[in-house]
Amino acid sequence: MNIVIVGDGKVGFTLASYLAQENHDVTIVDQDAAALEKASETLDVMCVRGNGANVRTLLEAGVDEADVLIAVTTNDEMNMVCCLAAKQLGAKYTVARIRDPEYTESLTVLKDKLNIDLVTNPERATAMEISRLLRFPFAINVETFAHGRVEMVEFKVEEFDPIANMSLITLHQRYPGVLCSAVLRGHEAIIPDGHHVIRVGDRMHVLGDIMSITNFFKNLGKDTKRVRSAMLLGGGHISYYFAKITAGMGMKLSLIEILPEKCRKLSEQLGDEVNVICGDAAEEELLEQENLTQFGALVCLLDRDEENMMTGLYAVRRGVGKVVVKVDRPNYVDVLSDMGLNSVVSPKLSTANAILRTVRALARSQDSAVVEKLYRIVEDKVEALEFTAKEGAPYLNIPLSRLKIRKGVLVAVLVRSRKIIIPFGNDHIEAGDTVILIARASSIGALEDALGEGDRR
Amino acid sequence: MNIRLVLNLLGRLLLVDSAFMAPALLIAVLDGTPDAAALGISMGLTAAVGAMMAVVRPRSDTLRPREGFTVVAMTWVLVSFLGGLPFYFSGYIPSLIDSFFETVSGFTTTGSTILTDVEKLPRGLLFWRSFTHWVGGMGVLVLSLALLPRMGGRSIFLMRAESPGPSPGKLVPRIGQTAKILYALYLGLSVLMFFVLMLCGMNWFDAIIHTVGTAGTGGFSNYNLSVGHYQNPLYEVVIGIFLLLFGVNFSMYFYLFRGDWRTVWKNTETRLYFGMVSASVLLIALNILPEYSGFAESLRYSFFQVATIITTAGFGTADFNQWPMFSKIIIFILMMTGCCAGSTGGGLKLIRVSMLFKGIKREIHRTVHPRGVSVIKIDGRALDEEIYSSVALYFFSYMAVIIIATLIVSLDNFDFESTFTAVVACFNNIGPGFGMVGPMGNFSEFSGLSKIVLSICMLLGRLELYPLLLLMSRRTWTRH
Repeated sequence: MNIVIVGDGKVGFTLASYLAQENHDVTIVDQDAAALEKASETLDVMCVRGNGANVRTLLEAGVDEADVLIAVTTNDEMNMVCCLAAKQLGAKYTVARIRDPEYTESLTVLKDKLNIDLVTNPERATAMEISRLLRFPFAINVETFAHGRVEMVEFKVEEFDPIANMSLITLHQRYPGVLCSAVLRGHEAIIPDGHHVIRVGDRMHVLGDIMSITNFFKNLGKDTKRVRSAMLLGGGHISYYFAKITAGMGMKLSLIEILPEKCRKLSEQLGDEVNVICGDAAEEELLEQENLTQFGALVCLLDRDEENMMTGLYAVRRGVGKVVVKVDRPNYVDVLSDMGLNSVVSPKLSTANAILRTVRALARSQDSAVVEKLYRIVEDKVEALEFTAKEGAPYLNIPLSRLKIRKGVLVAVLVRSRKIIIPFGNDHIEAGDTVILIARASSIGALEDALGEGDRR
Repeated sequence: MNIRLVLNLLGRLLLVDSAFMAPALLIAVLDGTPDAAALGISMGLTAAVGAMMAVVRPRSDTLRPREGFTVVAMTWVLVSFLGGLPFYFSGYIPSLIDSFFETVSGFTTTGSTILTDVEKLPRGLLFWRSFTHWVGGMGVLVLSLALLPRMGGRSIFLMRAESPGPSPGKLVPRIGQTAKILYALYLGLSVLMFFVLMLCGMNWFDAIIHTVGTAGTGGFSNYNLSVGHYQNPLYEVVIGIFLLLFGVNFSMYFYLFRGDWRTVWKNTETRLYFGMVSASVLLIALNILPEYSGFAESLRYSFFQVATIITTAGFGTADFNQWPMFSKIIIFILMMTGCCAGSTGGGLKLIRVSMLFKGIKREIHRTVHPRGVSVIKIDGRALDEEIYSSVALYFFSYMAVIIIATLIVSLDNFDFESTFTAVVACFNNIGPGFGMVGPMGNFSEFSGLSKIVLSICMLLGRLELYPLLLLMSRRTWTRH
C-alpha cells in the first residue's frame, strides 16, 4: 500500500519503521530536516520536507495515490486540515491523531464533516490500556475486539492453577464461553486443537465475552487479585479519561494533582467516586498520608518520566500490588522491568499500535470482507484478524465443518448482532457477522483462501 | 567498521558481476576465438572470489555510511581489477596495469584507451570492453539493489555513494523499486537506441557496441576512428541525440512517464543543459565554418562533438585538436561541467555549477546588504545550507585532485596540454583530451605510475571523490 505519514515524531517514526518493514511504500512529510534525515538514513522510506497541510507538499508526497494518510503531527488542527486536504486530493483512508478532549467530544461531527476515517487519541488509548491492566492485574496483555465486546487475555499458567495439565476439550466443556486461541510455549507459538494439553508456564491467550472471561478467571481463583481501588498521580488527560472509563466499574479512585484550578475542574467534571486531592504527588509524605499501601494499584501519570519512575519504585518497595508507570520515552523499558516495574505504558507507542492495527487490517481487506483490525500476538508470531463478513461472500451460510478451512487457521469468535458465539462445526457465518480469526502471522494473504468452500473440492 | 558485512556484500556483488561476463563469453564461444578461454577463466575466478566472500556471515547487518561507502569503493576497484583479467589472460593487453586501466576506463564510462589498434581485438573482448560502460553507467550497486533481495532500509548509503549528484534521492519510497525503475528506463532507452541504429542500417554487433557506449556515456568504439569510421551523418545524428538523452537526469524520464511535464519543463538543470548544448553547438559551428565546406557540415561536426563531450562519452568524428582555440576552449569548458546529476555522464554536474553561481550572486547580495537574508533556491525550493557548503567544498576537492594528479603525471614530461587534459579527461570520465591524448590519440605512451594515477582519477571522478577518499582514511578502519 502507499502510505503517507505526516509528522516525523516518535509516533510517525515508529509507524514508518513497522510499515516499511511490512513492505508498504511509505512517504514521510515533516518540516524538520534533521528528523527526516534520520528517517531517510535508517528506514527504506521516502522523505518530503514541507508543511503537511500544504497541498503542494502533499501532492509531492503522492497523496493523490495514497491508500492511507496518517496525520500525527503535534498539532490537532494541523492533523485535521491535513486529512481534509488529503481526502479531497484522493487519499482513500485518513487517520488523524486528535488529543484535545474539547475536540474529542465533537468527534462524530468532525469525523463526518472532515472525512477522517479514524481518529486516535493517545491519552484515551493509554487510559483504556491502563484500565485493562487493572482489571486483569495478572494478565500480561489484554486486547479487545468488536468494540470492546470481546476480550482476549494473555496470562501465564501457574503451578497450582486448576487448568494445568487439562486438555482443551475438557477446558471448553467446563467453561463453554471461553476459547483458548493461541499458546506460547518457550518460544514456540501454537494454535491449539482440542487435544492440546495445558502445561505450567504456558502463556495462554483466552478469548470470550466480558462476562465469561471474568467468570473464567474467578473460577481459576485469580479474581481475588482484582484491583478495586487505585491512586492516580497527575490530573492530566489520561487521568480524566481513565476516571471516565472506570466510572461505574466500582473502582475507588484517588487522584492527586498539584494545581488547585485543575483539581477544582476535575472534581467538577468527574463523579463523586473520585477523590480529588490537591498536592505534590512526588512527596512521599502525602502519599503515606493518603494511605498509599491501602490501594490496590498506583498509576503514575505525572509529566516527567523520572518522577513517574521514582514514585513507582517507591510504591513497589512499599508493597503496592500493581504499579503502572507512564513513560514518554520508552527507551529503557527493559531496565524498568528488571527493577520491578512491569507495567509501563507509553501514549506514543499506544497510538502507534492502535494505528498499526487498522492499517494492517486495511492491507488485508478484500472485496468479500473488510478487515477491521489486525492484532499481532504471541511475540508477533500469530495474528488475530477481526473482520466483517459482507453480503455475497462465498463462505456465508455454510456450516464451518463443511468449509475447507486452511490448516492452522482458527475461527475463534462470531459476533452476531451483539450476541457472542464461540463457534463449533455446526455454526455458520452470516452476512454482517463480525468474525475473529486466529492464524499464523502473514499466513493468510486472502481471506477467501482461509475460508474456502468445502463442497467444491 | 563491520568488516564481515562489507565482505558479505562485496561477495554478493561480485557474483552479480561475474554474470555480466556471460554475454561476452557467449559471443567468444560462438565465434570460436581464443579469448573464450580467457573470459571463461576470469568469469570463474570472479564467481569464486565472490562466493568465498559471500559465505562470510555478518554478525550484525547495520550498514552505516562508512560501510556503505567502503563497499562501493571496494566494489569498483575489485570489479575493475577482475574485469581486466580477460585482456591480460588472452594476451591482447600484456600488462596488468594496462588491463586495469582499460577496464577502469570501461566501468567508469571514461572511454580512454591504451590500445593503439582496437580493431585487432576479437569480438568477445570488444563486447566485454564496451559492455562495462553499460554496467558502470547506471552503477553496479544500483543494479544489485534492484536484483538482490532487499538489504534493509540502510542500503540508501550504497545508492548515495554510487549515484552522481549533490543529493541523490529516491523516486519512490522503496529503494529496490527505485533501482528497478532507473534500470528499466535505462534498459528501455538502450533497446530503443539499438533498434534505431539497426533501422539506420548498422550491423547488430556495431549497434550493440555503440548503444552500450552511448547509454553509459562511455565512448569505447570497436573502430580506431570511433564513430568517424562510418563517415555516415545519419549514425552521428542518432548517436548524438541519444547521447544527449542519456545526459539528462533519469528522474526526468520518470516524471515524464507519470505525465508530469511541468516539473521537467521547469527543471533548472535540464534547461541549463539544453541551453548550453545549443549555444555551444552554434558558436563552434560558426567558429569552425572556414575549415569545412559549408554550414551544414560544420554544424554536423559541431553537434556531434558537443554532444559527445558534454555527456562525457568521448566518441570521435572529427579531430577537434585541429580546431581554432575558441572552439577548443568551449569544448574544454564542457569537459569540466559535464552533464546533469543522476544521469550516466560524468563531470562536475551542471546542478553544482548552477548552485555555485547562485552562491556567488548571494555573496554579492550580502555585501551590498550586510543584514540581508537570502536563501539559494533551486527549482523553487530552498537549498539546504549544508548541501550548498558541501558542493562548494566538492568543487575545491575537484580542483585539488586535478592539480595533484597533474603534478604526478607531469613526471612523464609530456607537453602541458597533453598532461593537463589527460587528467581532466580521466577525472571527468570523458576519454579524449587535447594534444597527445586527443580524439585521434591514446594513453599508451604514459608510464605505469601515470596510468595508475589516471585510473584512480577515473574512479574518483565516477564515485565523486568521497567513497574512495574514505577508503584511504585510517579512521574508516579503526573501531571507533
